[in-house]
Amino acid sequence: MREVLMLIVVLLPMFTGILTPMLSFRSRKAMCIYLETAVCVNSLLVFWLLFHAPDKTLTVFRFTHDLSITLGLDGMGAVYGGLVAFLWPLALLYGFEYMEGEEKEKSFFLFYVATYGVTLGVALSENILTMYFFFEMLSLVTLPLVMYTRTREAVLASRTYLYYMLGGAAFAFIGMIFVLVYGTTSSFVPGGVLDLVNVHEKKDTLLAVYVLCFCGFSVKTALWPFSSWLPKAGVAPTPVTALLHGVAVVNTGAFAVMRVTYFSFGTKLLRGTWAQYLVMGLAVFTIVYGCSRAVKETHFKRRLAWSTVGNLSYILFGVTLMTPMGMAGALTHLVCHSFMKSCSFLCAGAVIHKTGKNYIYQLDGLGRKMPKVFACFGVSALALTGVPGLCGFVSKWYLAEGAVDSGEPLALAGTAALMISALLTAVYMLSILVRVFFPKKGFDPAEIEEVREPGWRMLVPLGVLAVCILCLGLYSEPLVRMLKEIADF
Amino acid sequence: MAFVQNFPFLSILLSLFSGPLCSILSGKWAKRVNTGVIVTTGVMSAFVLQHVISTGQSYVYQMGHFPAPWGNEIRVGILEAFMACFFCAVMLLCMLGGIREREEQIQESKQNLYYVMVNLLLCSLLALIYTNDLFTAYVFVEINTISACGLIMIRQTGRTYEAAARYMIMSLSGSGLLLLGICYLYAVTGHLLMSNIREQVQFLAQTGQHHLSLMVALGLMSVGLAMKSALYPFHTWLPDAYGYSTLSSSAILSSLVSKGYIFLLIKIFCRVVGFNVVNESKVVNVLFVFGIIGMIMGSLSAIKENNLTRMIAYSSVAQIGYIYMGLGLATEAGIVAGLYHVLSHGATKALLFVAASGLGDASGNSDRFADITGAGLRNKLAGTAFLAGSLSMVGLPMFSGFISKFFFAQAAVGHAHKMFPTVIALALSTILNAVYFMKTVIRIYTPAPEGSVGGRQIGVWEQPAKSAALVCLILLNLILGLNSDPIVRLIQRGFEMFD
Amino acid sequence: MDAFLLIPIVLPMFFGALLLFFSFREKNTAPGGRRERARLCLYVSAVLGISVALALAAAWSGDRELVLFTLFEGVPVYFHVDALGRLFVTVVSLIWVLSALFAFVYMKHEGKEKRYYGFYLILYGVLVALDFSGNLVTMYLFYELTTLVSMPLVLHNGTREAVMAALKYLFYSMCGAYGGLFSVFFLYRYSDSLNFAPGGTLNQAAAQGHEGILLIAVFAALVGFGAKAGMVPLHAWLPTAHPVAPSPASAVLSGVIVKSGVLAVVRVVFYVAGTDFLQGTWVQYVWMTLALLTVFMGSMLAYREQIFKKRLAYSTVSQVSYIMFGLSLLTPDAFTGALLHVVVHAVVKCGLFLTAGVFVYRFGYTRAEELGGIGKKMPKTMWCYLLLSLTLVGIPPTGGFVSKWYLAEGALQSGTGVFSWLGPVVLLVSALLTAGYLLPIAMKGFFPGSEHLQGLEEPHGIEEPGEGAQAHSSRKALGPELSPAMLVPLVVLAALAVWLGVFPGPVSEYAARIATAVF
Repeated sequence: MREVLMLIVVLLPMFTGILTPMLSFRSRKAMCIYLETAVCVNSLLVFWLLFHAPDKTLTVFRFTHDLSITLGLDGMGAVYGGLVAFLWPLALLYGFEYMEGEEKEKSFFLFYVATYGVTLGVALSENILTMYFFFEMLSLVTLPLVMYTRTREAVLASRTYLYYMLGGAAFAFIGMIFVLVYGTTSSFVPGGVLDLVNVHEKKDTLLAVYVLCFCGFSVKTALWPFSSWLPKAGVAPTPVTALLHGVAVVNTGAFAVMRVTYFSFGTKLLRGTWAQYLVMGLAVFTIVYGCSRAVKETHFKRRLAWSTVGNLSYILFGVTLMTPMGMAGALTHLVCHSFMKSCSFLCAGAVIHKTGKNYIYQLDGLGRKMPKVFACFGVSALALTGVPGLCGFVSKWYLAEGAVDSGEPLALAGTAALMISALLTAVYMLSILVRVFFPKKGFDPAEIEEVREPGWRMLVPLGVLAVCILCLGLYSEPLVRMLKEIADF
Repeated sequence: MAFVQNFPFLSILLSLFSGPLCSILSGKWAKRVNTGVIVTTGVMSAFVLQHVISTGQSYVYQMGHFPAPWGNEIRVGILEAFMACFFCAVMLLCMLGGIREREEQIQESKQNLYYVMVNLLLCSLLALIYTNDLFTAYVFVEINTISACGLIMIRQTGRTYEAAARYMIMSLSGSGLLLLGICYLYAVTGHLLMSNIREQVQFLAQTGQHHLSLMVALGLMSVGLAMKSALYPFHTWLPDAYGYSTLSSSAILSSLVSKGYIFLLIKIFCRVVGFNVVNESKVVNVLFVFGIIGMIMGSLSAIKENNLTRMIAYSSVAQIGYIYMGLGLATEAGIVAGLYHVLSHGATKALLFVAASGLGDASGNSDRFADITGAGLRNKLAGTAFLAGSLSMVGLPMFSGFISKFFFAQAAVGHAHKMFPTVIALALSTILNAVYFMKTVIRIYTPAPEGSVGGRQIGVWEQPAKSAALVCLILLNLILGLNSDPIVRLIQRGFEMFD
Repeated sequence: MDAFLLIPIVLPMFFGALLLFFSFREKNTAPGGRRERARLCLYVSAVLGISVALALAAAWSGDRELVLFTLFEGVPVYFHVDALGRLFVTVVSLIWVLSALFAFVYMKHEGKEKRYYGFYLILYGVLVALDFSGNLVTMYLFYELTTLVSMPLVLHNGTREAVMAALKYLFYSMCGAYGGLFSVFFLYRYSDSLNFAPGGTLNQAAAQGHEGILLIAVFAALVGFGAKAGMVPLHAWLPTAHPVAPSPASAVLSGVIVKSGVLAVVRVVFYVAGTDFLQGTWVQYVWMTLALLTVFMGSMLAYREQIFKKRLAYSTVSQVSYIMFGLSLLTPDAFTGALLHVVVHAVVKCGLFLTAGVFVYRFGYTRAEELGGIGKKMPKTMWCYLLLSLTLVGIPPTGGFVSKWYLAEGALQSGTGVFSWLGPVVLLVSALLTAGYLLPIAMKGFFPGSEHLQGLEEPHGIEEPGEGAQAHSSRKALGPELSPAMLVPLVVLAALAVWLGVFPGPVSEYAARIATAVF
């Protein structure tokens, strides 16, 4: 029975979404209540499922005798699923206020809620095909959200978005085929499924394929040189940017990379090979690259997007360490970064929503007018910078610990890259904070006289996220212990 | 001998004679006859399929019970019957989808001629599938060419004349080469029946005699059929021919006619020459290379195109490239993947052509990109269908394209040297497919700019035949995508029967 | 568990935050009336007084320790008072009180006083916590907070220049902090614990074979934490940031905040990595080179600089690297000298910046050449300045002489080859340069020569025209002498500087005790 619930949590949001344009609501409020209820119920189901994990898997249907869509729940999936289930209701609540007054909001919420199901699908995938399937689905369901405004810019951005996504999937596909052909099973098995004895003479081939597959899945995490879609996709409404391009889509990429690295190819095959160094090098480079681009960027959301590029590569860096500690670090950052980045994105969205200001140089002195928003933004900014006591430091700590522990020279360089990136993060985040709280001399407060704080539907998610950042930063032990257990197999 | 064993021959005969019959009927009646013929042949093929599956053996049908070399033989196995069945189904849907276009674009007085051509085409396709005799194959190849030309030029615009002329020239050069090849083979082996030739070729190959002649024959036949099926670089006739002819014609031409030739080529490889000989000859390598180039070049040309139907036509070039790539792998898995792609591409391409015309309907009968902006919103069903077709082309799991891509990749992995080129080409081509198909999808779902003219809303029930065809083709796609196991097993069993 | 430690940390932070909150709610940013200011001063002095008393009480009543909570497995937020922390906390408290006293008057003309005092109070709490930190991660936490909280003091006047300077300060410090953090990761891996213990906690067995990377890590920490202490190569922020802050803020920045860099270096080198590990390695030599380079370069630049506060800032660069050099020698005597110099320099530099504040406040003078003849106007201030300058140069019997003596002695005994004689030479040259850039001001101040006499009658306008007129008029209203709130800190500091030289015993013995513990 419990395994059927897995299917339900995947399908429920999709149906909720599809029903939205079909139902006629008496008022906008009714629609909001309907959506929020459905999403909350789904999240509750997910949480229930996490604590009562089904011991069996559920095969939904079979493409061919060895290709099937199968759902299952293991530790890693539970972490990701739980994270998504926690964030979605919050972001949706925020979305109600943000999208107020928009014409096509029904179609927006359709896809927004449906994406929830797809993302859960990724988390609950039991084999590589299922993951690939939801991975591709995710690109497609989020597409309408990117091109929501239907402006020329949005259309161009959505094209780029889709090309990158599907292109990435095409390379990931190669990896999948090899896993299916050379693996003993298509399911995810901790430690990998390749038959190491038999594939020995094909090792280099497999490593090359791993690199392709890694790059393919990493397109979603905006690994360099596949990163330019992410800032462009910032044309989407902020709830989308915050949750999808700050969390769901990019994390799905990272999650998929973790799956193929630890559960399909297996670290035994990869550790110490040129493939590991290559992908680690890419990750390390992207860490610095993303942050540098963020420093250069003056558009608020695009700056955050570049920051995401850098931060997601932290996760990839942890993954490419190919040690349990590295993976624990990667998982920690996956969780922490989701909180931090969605919080900062939502703050940016609140600012844009209330003031219409998109560029950082326009933000002078807004801290006085929107103290709550910018307080939350400050928390997330400091967390991203890695101030101890906030959750960014925790994940950085474990990542660095994993890197130091692995002892690889490149990993040590990676640690240095983490530090450089932290500095750059300080540059691009704190300069915003300084600007909003300490306006320069000659600044005229009358210009922003009209600016008000957003309503509770925006503030509550912000507050919750900021509190989470703080709590996780101060008391991370249970989470980290759990993640370490998951990573240690 | 069971009565059902006569069905292949009967269906060829039926379609052959219904052609002349149509020429004396009015357009309306010709249409009915034509539909009836397609349905009947389809049903008959289904019975045959059921028969061969149950017996588990192929059989040879001698016309008039004259043994070779005087008589003519057809050979029926699972694969043949299944292909015939599939071709009939797709053809029926193509005809169904293009009813309105035919009425509008073909002169009243020439309506019946169209059905003559279609019936002859069907007949030739069936013959190509079933025949066990190389010369018969050649004859029907020619019939096929002529009827296809007719299908193209019946729209009677300047462009279609030109396209038909080009097609005719390319196609006839192809047939010429094929004929030359057959002549060589006949000269070397002294036979025309496939099974006989094969014995002789195997013997020659073992003794090492006439090596060069055999290779030349093989090369000539391959190139000839490649020309006819528009393998890159012989594809130049294709975009015009598919892009400008009436809907049913382009759909049928792209999804069936070229596939008939490919099926013939596979038969020549497996049943006439024998796989071992083909493998030695390196012809497959050439096909492989051109297949891959075609995959890439076709897509690149499609990206540059700014006309929807022509874009889909160029995409056919790429898809034909896939199939040749599968053949070029020269393994059983590769050929099975190729055959599966014949099915999946047939279903998808027909779907895309019909959907494109639906989108055109909603945009003032224009298929230029500038005009179809927002067409998916005006004609919801066509939009959905185009989306489904595109997703299949891009290879989303659930759709047929994914499965054939999957088989190609799986076949490639087993191959030592061609593995990397194949998988990389697959990935690149997927990206390119995504570029032009998804670009179009985005365009048709972007609302038209203010003040644009020519667009109108089209409901599902406005053109029931087209809607039905679209729905059926989507379903066909989904079936091929979701339930591929039994079909692949059929293909595999059929392929084993080839020997 | 000893929650008493927490009070002097949390108390100023809380009340500071409260003040900030009120300043934030305030619609009107114009300076308030006399009454309001009096209330504010009372509030600040009450909070600061209680906090300082509690901090000193906590510091000087035994080795208290407190585990607040666990940040990571085995890494708690942990406070522990030890001899070094005691010394630093005392210096910080002293400077803080005096500078606050000065600020009560001075900040009148800067405006946004609530914000200033808010951060000022919070910063005190943070610094106390930094000094009380018992392990590296806790220290790192408060080190970062020091940067973040002191940054608003730098950008206080809100000009573009100030904001840019503050950002520069922020990013250099953070850059340094991340260098430190980099080393924390390695030290965590290769040491028994991150808790400070005199002599180091390095796990020899675990570190075996990883010396190379560990040395790199320690070096990263040196350079990183050295940033805050203005050591080459990350020194460039200091001459930019210190002068733009209001003078009392510059005084604490230069006097105390730079010392947090020193403290961090001491903690890493002497309390975690251990001197044995570094003795004779390339890290030590590079460190010494950098320190000497900074000493010399800072003095040279100060000598060439004409803007008074900037000159003092360069002087800080140079003087703090005296301390760094003392530490880098890794001998007990030099270590003692370094600690002594921490105290001396804190007192002197605070005093000097306050003097500079006086000049700015009274006359709007910012350039050194404007100060001719000023001794006639303000003899008391100028005498204080003279005494402080002499101390910094190191003329006996002032505090500077004692600390430099120890430093030179330590260098000569250190057995570090060329450095054992090069070090004292550089120190001497730098002392001469120090005399060269500080004393002429005093001389010109008292003996301006005839051409300056006229110029003194009317004060020059200050650089910003908008503020000029208003500041001008307010200055005229003041009497010829300084108000006691400004003078007292100066006098106390000058007296302390001299007293440290005349009776160096208690402090130097205390420092020597620490030195014997860590070696």
